Amino acid sequence: MRPTDLARTIAAFVVLVLLHYTLRPLLGWRVSPDFLIIALLLVSIRVRPGTAAVIGLCMGIVSDSLELHAFGAGALGMALVGFSASWLKAVFFADDVLLNAFFFFLGKWAFDIIFLLAEHRLGVGELFIEMLVWSPLKGVVTAIFGLLTLMLLRPILRASPT
Amino acid sequence: MATAARSYSRRDTILLAACVVLALIAQVLPERTRDPLAAALRHTVLAPLVALQRDAELTHRAWLTREDRVAARDSVVLRSMALDAVRQDNDHLRALLGLGARLQWGFVPAEVLQGRGVGEEYTVALSAGSRAGVREFSPVIAPGGLVGMVKTVDPTMSIAIVWSHPDFRVSAMSADGGAFGIVAAHGSSEPERYLLEMRGVPVRTLLKPGTLIVSSGLGSTFPRGIPVGTVLGEMKTSELWARTYLLRPAVLPSEMTSVMVLRPERVASGVDGVWQTGVHIDSAVKTVVAAGEALERAARAAAHADSVRTDSLRALRALRADSASRRDSVVRR
Repeated sequence: MRPTDLARTIAAFVVLVLLHYTLRPLLGWRVSPDFLIIALLLVSIRVRPGTAAVIGLCMGIVSDSLELHAFGAGALGMALVGFSASWLKAVFFADDVLLNAFFFFLGKWAFDIIFLLAEHRLGVGELFIEMLVWSPLKGVVTAIFGLLTLMLLRPILRASPT
Repeated sequence: MATAARSYSRRDTILLAACVVLALIAQVLPERTRDPLAAALRHTVLAPLVALQRDAELTHRAWLTREDRVAARDSVVLRSMALDAVRQDNDHLRALLGLGARLQWGFVPAEVLQGRGVGEEYTVALSAGSRAGVREFSPVIAPGGLVGMVKTVDPTMSIAIVWSHPDFRVSAMSADGGAFGIVAAHGSSEPERYLLEMRGVPVRTLLKPGTLIVSSGLGSTFPRGIPVGTVLGEMKTSELWARTYLLRPAVLPSEMTSVMVLRPERVASGVDGVWQTGVHIDSAVKTVVAAGEALERAARAAAHADSVRTDSLRALRALRADSASRRDSVVRR
């Protein structure tokens, strides 16, 4: 990655992290978008899978510091999601809007499943409700906001000509 | 190329495995290790983000509770408005109690029965009638002063004309007794509609704005000393030998809620000392001045008597001396 692209990716990453801690609580929705996942996915598809896993681990550890009951669960989920996103993007996906939306949806859903399983907090019934109802809904919302973000940040994220 | 790809892949796999292991270790960390680590992250990397989140949540909460806050504010405003009305009512009732305490006897308390009929700006219905001792032509007063006069009496209620009635007249004077006249409704259009005018004041008498006008007690209806109004200014009229003054009523229509009707025996005995109008102060000043003048006259008379006595003594001594000298001369002869 060239320094210009790296700077643009970092700028987009910072904007998304800020949105996560400002817009999300401002909306206050029960099913709210996860801008951290969007940021992780945007970065992951631009770096190698191992680097994406390390970035996911760091983001997860930092965000887990606010949720002591699940400390490490978010780190595990983000590391796996980051690695998978980077690997899958390299193998399968092209630059397509619907595929990007599906990519965000799948990333969020996968993260929630890993997180819920790792934190060991919910009972079986609640766990299934959360995994099969709320998490997909959150995935959809995250996908919508992810696409909006991609459109808004297109000038920043566009790769510089070689 | 394939070897390079495999080595990168291997390195990525190793990194992933390390990350997974670290995440699992983080999950099983004991509290005494996990809490300081999380606290350090919260106080450094996450601190500005947490501050942002707190502000955003406060904004969100403020947005959610805006309607409740508006409703609460409206309720408070409504209550404060009602409280103001209650306070005014309380003040009025306290003043009425004070008036009752000063009058002590000879009055009938009555409520003004509010209505919205035609002509009610000139007349009011009172809740007391002949059974309570109200009689025709009885003065109606309030803590501020004169309200009007009872016109019609029924057993349980009565009708009174107020000072704004075209037929209302009261003989009045300035509080110092220097000017007399007849007070009647001004009878003009808005905005001077609810004012009074004092007619027939002698040309030589000037009244300054703010001068208190009270009932003079001439005639048998209104006793002397009930405040009628205060002078606002002189009116231009065609009369050559008399002045007419515009008055602000002592009791405004909005204050005509609870009133007192004076009984005939109280009218006959007067209402001296009920209102601090200056009439009695003036009388007291006159009394003091008169007493001083009397003392001065007495002192002058005493001084005059002393001088007369002294002169008499001198004359007597002179006479005796003259007689003695004559006797001596006779003896010498």
